[in-house]
Amino acid sequence: MAEHQGLLSSGWDRVTRNKRYIIWFYVLNGLLAWFGAGAFNRQAEMVLDHSLQAERLVHRFDLGVLVEMFMRPEFGPTQASFAPALHFAILFFIATALFLPGVLQGYASTYRLPREDFFRACGRNLWRFIRLMIVAGIVMGIAAGALFGIRMPLLKEAAESTNELLPFYVSVITICVIFLVMTVLRIWFDMAQTDIVLSDQRAVRRSIGAAFRHTWRNLGRLLGTYIVTTIVAAIVLLFGLWAWVKIVPPASVIGAIVISQLILLLLLIPRFWQRGIVVTYYLQNMVEPVVVQPLTPAPVVTAPAIAPVIGTAPPETQGA
Amino acid sequence: MKIRWLILFFPVVSVVVVSLLVKEHAANAASPQGAAAATTAASAATAVANNSGALAIPDTTLAINSAQPMSQRVVHYEIDAKYDAIKHIVDATETLTYHNITGQALDHFPFHLYQNAFQPNATWVRETKVAGGRDVGYEKWEDKDYGSEEIKSLEVVGQGDLTSQVRYIAPDDGNKDDKTVVDVHVPKPIAAGQYVQFKIAFQTKFPETQARSGWKHDFVLGGQWFPKVGVFWHGAWNCHQYHAFTEFFADFGVYDVKLTVPQFEVVGASGVRVGETNNPDNTKTVAFHGDDIHDFAWTASPRYKLKEDGIYQGQMGPVQMRILMQPAHWGQVGRHEKILKQSLEQFESRYGPYPYKTITLVDPESAEAGGMEYPTFITGDTSWFMPEGLKLPEIVIEHEFGHQYWYGMVATNEFEDAWMDEGINSYSEVKVLDSILGRKTSGIDLAGIMLGEREQQRLGYTTVADLDPIAQKAYDYYSFNSYGGITYGKTASVLLTLESIIGEDTMAKAMRTYFMKNRFTHPTKADFLNTIQEVSGKDLKWYFDQAIYGSQVMDYKVLRIESFPVNWYEDKKKSAEKDEKNTVYRSYVWLQRKEDFVMPVEVEIKFDNGEKIREHWDGVSRWTAFTYEKKAKVESAELDPDHKIQIDRNDFNNSYTAKANEKPRWKVANYWVFMTQWLGQALAWWAV
Repeated sequence: MAEHQGLLSSGWDRVTRNKRYIIWFYVLNGLLAWFGAGAFNRQAEMVLDHSLQAERLVHRFDLGVLVEMFMRPEFGPTQASFAPALHFAILFFIATALFLPGVLQGYASTYRLPREDFFRACGRNLWRFIRLMIVAGIVMGIAAGALFGIRMPLLKEAAESTNELLPFYVSVITICVIFLVMTVLRIWFDMAQTDIVLSDQRAVRRSIGAAFRHTWRNLGRLLGTYIVTTIVAAIVLLFGLWAWVKIVPPASVIGAIVISQLILLLLLIPRFWQRGIVVTYYLQNMVEPVVVQPLTPAPVVTAPAIAPVIGTAPPETQGA
Repeated sequence: MKIRWLILFFPVVSVVVVSLLVKEHAANAASPQGAAAATTAASAATAVANNSGALAIPDTTLAINSAQPMSQRVVHYEIDAKYDAIKHIVDATETLTYHNITGQALDHFPFHLYQNAFQPNATWVRETKVAGGRDVGYEKWEDKDYGSEEIKSLEVVGQGDLTSQVRYIAPDDGNKDDKTVVDVHVPKPIAAGQYVQFKIAFQTKFPETQARSGWKHDFVLGGQWFPKVGVFWHGAWNCHQYHAFTEFFADFGVYDVKLTVPQFEVVGASGVRVGETNNPDNTKTVAFHGDDIHDFAWTASPRYKLKEDGIYQGQMGPVQMRILMQPAHWGQVGRHEKILKQSLEQFESRYGPYPYKTITLVDPESAEAGGMEYPTFITGDTSWFMPEGLKLPEIVIEHEFGHQYWYGMVATNEFEDAWMDEGINSYSEVKVLDSILGRKTSGIDLAGIMLGEREQQRLGYTTVADLDPIAQKAYDYYSFNSYGGITYGKTASVLLTLESIIGEDTMAKAMRTYFMKNRFTHPTKADFLNTIQEVSGKDLKWYFDQAIYGSQVMDYKVLRIESFPVNWYEDKKKSAEKDEKNTVYRSYVWLQRKEDFVMPVEVEIKFDNGEKIREHWDGVSRWTAFTYEKKAKVESAELDPDHKIQIDRNDFNNSYTAKANEKPRWKVANYWVFMTQWLGQALAWWAV
């Protein structure tokens, strides 16, 4: 298949061959967000549904009306809306961690992965992923903490400059640097996740080690693909927001829902594309070659004998 | 070198390069004057020429487009100041000639020393720590926050050196550590109608910018920087301490100020520039003259870019628009000049002529120096990134220019009646910006998001509606937010609502009358409120008692609407057989006054056959009901259908529709869902 293709194109092939994963995740993302927005919806209903004042939100986006809505006692505390939204966003994050092994398995397979295999991969790798996420969290936390720790005094010092633009430049440059470093770490742990799933690696540390070596050896190539996909995501977001503002009439609620959901659906693709890239990389560079034994002529057996019946063991259930 | 090494080194190199860059710029900022340091450090004050002739206040008109003085001039300040740009210190001499027009002999004179407010135990700092303030929160005390204003010597001509007679007083709170007011006893009282001349040597040290005064890097804004005599008002001296929320009050007069600064500084100040000479010590002395003004402020920075070719042809003569911009904001100079010119036009046409020959607009380096008014001198507020749709520069410039009328010329007591300058000016701001930028878009008009200035003022008020009345001393407000919300927001909203009672045209006429009658004086709240009653011919005591003197809150509500068939008791089948259009319904509309502000209101009732009825309710009782029998059901009821009332705390409950309209909610909920989904995706992107 795509073993000799470029990472980007091969990764893209895997995404397009398995579009259903994106759809599932999108539906899950939407459903959880819908539940998360339930509290907000009820609170807004109390203030808006029977008021003519609310019309000012429809025909244009009147910030004053929105602010007043949040200020109304009958709307309730903003925390009451925000907390469920945050909790359901975290739920999506957990769900992603849970179902990701199935996605990786599906991307690696040359056929449509049966549902039971998908969920088997999820279950088999759950504990491994949790351990890996803890390690990733520690490493990325330390890196982010250190980098933001360096950034803070730089920004403070820049703010003392008479050049008003300097803090902005420093901010942009440091954010870019932090983004690049965190992306490298993300590649490393994406690679480790892939190795765990596709090598059925129980020892997470081995996957981390192998992933580190491969990330380091092919950093330029891998980072390039991740940057390209991230740029695609940024373009999707910016263009989507532009279209939302410029194309969708303010009074068209349906139009707003359609374009916003389209943006969110498209925004999922770049990340899955990155997964496809890593799976391709794994298959091209990390999978251990199968040693093929040379064929030797079978000895001629003269004495007829009844061969023992040995049941062929089913392939070992991975992750037992 | 392999690419991975390049990638590894990139962050390291970036951090090093950025650090070096930042350090270099910070070093530049710390010592911009470099070579001039030694010269500016010299701080010997230059003596002011002795006024040997008979004392008088000059009747000069150099700075105004009028052949005659426009105010009753009480003071003449002659200040010769030298600014040390390294230490941020002014050493100066001040000759103050005071004309006693009080009608009685004066044996003591209080002076403001405003810069002493920036000391740890000063009333300003104490109040700011408790009730909030404009800029600095004083979480911890820093040396750069320190400011001082010290009288080195004080002589009264003809009475000798009275430095020993100078004593600190704290007339408002008795704070012995507050040094913002001094009182000088003169052994020989100054008789009514006589003049007295003070010769003062003083030193002022500015803090890093706070309260729209002080330094930032190589920039300085010299506001409230010299000993300023109080105002003898209503039979007594009025000279308040500097409080966290208060502004200023002073008499009209003439200012002749010489500022000696390093030669590379670009200087702007109140009044007109009348001379500039270079000195041998690499300094220059710039002279300014101001007529019929009651304060003097100045600014200096080596990096200002100057535009001074803009001329506005005013009703009394040409007005030079002098604009000092930060280099990074130079692209916005046209925007600044445009709104300044539009503001001049609007104020002249609405209220009366702008008599001064100049208006100086300063784009300050520090945000803490932004948004301030001094006579013929204002500061704006912008940043390098300011899309056209964000109207902050326009709002601030218009507002500060408006103070040339409400504070500059109509010089109310900002300590005691802050609403009369800030509030009336906020009302003017809404009216002017409505005309220039549009009623719904005068605050924000960006990417489909809109916010009107009048809505901003109203929201500012509604958050603190039940805390303080308008008519109280500025330093008696509960908090800085309450001061801001009531003084600015409530006053603007109250005056906009007043238009609905006396009519917009009458209100415009009253405002013009008030300005023309009271310019170059110190009017009281009674002067303002009486003018409105006189012009409108209406007794508005009921309104002013609640809106100005009281803290009553207004919240009217459509409590309920209901319709049902008159013959509801008849057999349903039979009723259904009847033509729906011929069914007679009995409809009820209940209105409620939820809070304690009583005001007549209109309500518009719509029926499902398209008919509209307007009713009037005096609002005296807590609730009322209107009943109708029609072949139509009531569809909606709306209080204040023309949206004239700006002081109602809750606009949402001013209407009620029988049928729910879910569209607005879905629109807003969609944003919420979008944000939630996006948040989930972002978390999953980075953390899994």
